[in-house]
Amino acid sequence: MSENTIGKKSLDWVDKRFPVIDLFERHLSKYYSPSNINIWYLFGFLLLIVLVMQILTGLWLMMNYTNTAEGAFSSIEYIMRDVDYGWLIRYMHAGGASAFFALIYLHMFRGMMYGSYQKPRELIWVGGWFVYVLLCAEGFTGYVLPWGQMSFWAAQVIISLVGSIPYFGEDLAIWIRGDYIVSGITLSRLFAFHVVLLPILIIAVVFFHILALHEIGSNNPDGIDVKKHTDQDGVPLDAKPFFPYDITHDFYALGVFLLIFCTVIFFFPEGGGYIIEYVNYEPANPLSTPAHIVPSWYYTPFYAMLRAIDFPLFGLTAKFLGFVVMAAGIAIFAALPWLDRSPVKSIKYKGIFSKVFLAGFVISFFVLAYLGSVPPTETKNMLAKVFTFLYFAYFLLMPFYTRFEKCKPVPERVGDTA
Amino acid sequence: MQTCPRACWRYSLKILFYLTIITSSLFIFSAGEYRCGSMECDYFEADVSDKASLQRGLSTYMNYCYGCHSLKYSRYKRVAEDLLIPLEMYENNLIFDGSKIGELMEISLTKEDAINWLGAYPPDLTLEARLRRPDWIYTYLRNYYPDSSRPYGVNNRVYQNVNMPHVLEDMQNNLSESQYDQVIYDLTNFMTYVADPSAEQRKRIGTYVLLFLIIFTAFAYMTYREFKKDLK
Repeated sequence: MSENTIGKKSLDWVDKRFPVIDLFERHLSKYYSPSNINIWYLFGFLLLIVLVMQILTGLWLMMNYTNTAEGAFSSIEYIMRDVDYGWLIRYMHAGGASAFFALIYLHMFRGMMYGSYQKPRELIWVGGWFVYVLLCAEGFTGYVLPWGQMSFWAAQVIISLVGSIPYFGEDLAIWIRGDYIVSGITLSRLFAFHVVLLPILIIAVVFFHILALHEIGSNNPDGIDVKKHTDQDGVPLDAKPFFPYDITHDFYALGVFLLIFCTVIFFFPEGGGYIIEYVNYEPANPLSTPAHIVPSWYYTPFYAMLRAIDFPLFGLTAKFLGFVVMAAGIAIFAALPWLDRSPVKSIKYKGIFSKVFLAGFVISFFVLAYLGSVPPTETKNMLAKVFTFLYFAYFLLMPFYTRFEKCKPVPERVGDTA
Repeated sequence: MQTCPRACWRYSLKILFYLTIITSSLFIFSAGEYRCGSMECDYFEADVSDKASLQRGLSTYMNYCYGCHSLKYSRYKRVAEDLLIPLEMYENNLIFDGSKIGELMEISLTKEDAINWLGAYPPDLTLEARLRRPDWIYTYLRNYYPDSSRPYGVNNRVYQNVNMPHVLEDMQNNLSESQYDQVIYDLTNFMTYVADPSAEQRKRIGTYVLLFLIIFTAFAYMTYREFKKDLK
């Protein structure tokens, strides 16, 4: 660009008042990512896109949604039938919720596989975990809004869990519901959380998550510290700038993701009952309980843990213990950076025990997801116990097996064989 | 550079392998439960592009079902337009209570009367095909059988001890089996349409969206490949 064009002048004008060029360089054109990152590193970008999509579609849904017990269900059908392209906005939002969870699970698994939570990325991990917890709350509150049978009964079951806390649980549950049962009062407060408080928190924590990441930089499948070897200008040798190298890769991934996503929302919008439950096409009815109350697929592993604990212990009720185990199943991710005592980051160089336990974790996650989605039987309950145990074994035994197992040496530079 | 290294593939394959084992073993645990009451659902595939079938289904619905079962999330006008029925003809023949054509398809049966006369309030059926699935409706309507122990003298194999009388009994007695099946097919087809009236538009737009995305992804891939060359 020549010296005196309008574009150059206005950029200068802005840059003297706000550091656009500096920000662009720091976060894009001179932000370096390791040269050996693979497809597992695409999900963060996709999650950001889905977050934006959820905010926009949510905004448009809100324009026609009624947050009362009398009006909620029919306002959804109004959106589906009478609002121009309302069906599209709603399917994007409902499908977007499932996509959000699918992507965040893959994103989290990447971190667990390559030890991305390890020093110095503890806060990135904890921030990301907090986004996940907020997302669970956001998903739950949003699920209640259509005010169908499953909306109502899911809310009833989940909030009643709070009631199992000894001494003050019942009072707390009434305080949360604003009523003795889930009612229109509960609906409108969950709506307020869903559209104001939780999205603001999610955006804020995502901002923190990315800021923390850009301070330290991405980990990589080998767990090599790429900042150790730089050229004379301080540019890491085994890295490339995010812009344009990663961004073009990300856009290619976005195309592939959207192909899958749009196939689902345009051709299988209910996702076989997993994205929009069939039972939820019946308006909420406090007098009739559905035969099987099932949460959305992305909560089923934790729901299975809740049901697995069917025995009282130390004077505490089974329900309360189940609630504690379920909450612990979500909370324990935050402790990962301090549970892992391995000298290496990536699973590629960790010992056999890490591999076996990680595989055990993945298997138990899937089995629990299945068990949480079907009606319980004697055998299935037994299985749920075993796999809940296996799930927690991955985390709780980690300080031991990571310390004593034999690891492979990590190469000094990307592409080296140690 | 950016490709999945060998180890990454190996782990992905391993995980896939475990998943296959798990899912297949889980199918063994999940013992079958019939979705259609005491029997398997009959095969039903809706064809909402068959406007003649939808029109016949609509007329059966309005004449036999609509007295008790509203379609209160749907509007007369939308149905008329989607089913290619001239508005005037629709107004003259298929609106019984003087409603305006733009109104919701509500019925005049009150909750109080229904409970007095029938013992229950017949549910709205706009979303029945989404709630219970079309094959359930198709199977249900074809599986009434005589049972003198029930108040209306009929029972149902799909929905044991159902409250609803067999309103299509005359039709079933007077028509051949295949003719009756066709009536139920059309009716179910209409109910599938009315539960999800945007389905046709959705699939049409979806096709264009996917075509666009294929082109977008192809260009995005070429851009990616071009930049990747720098890194070699």
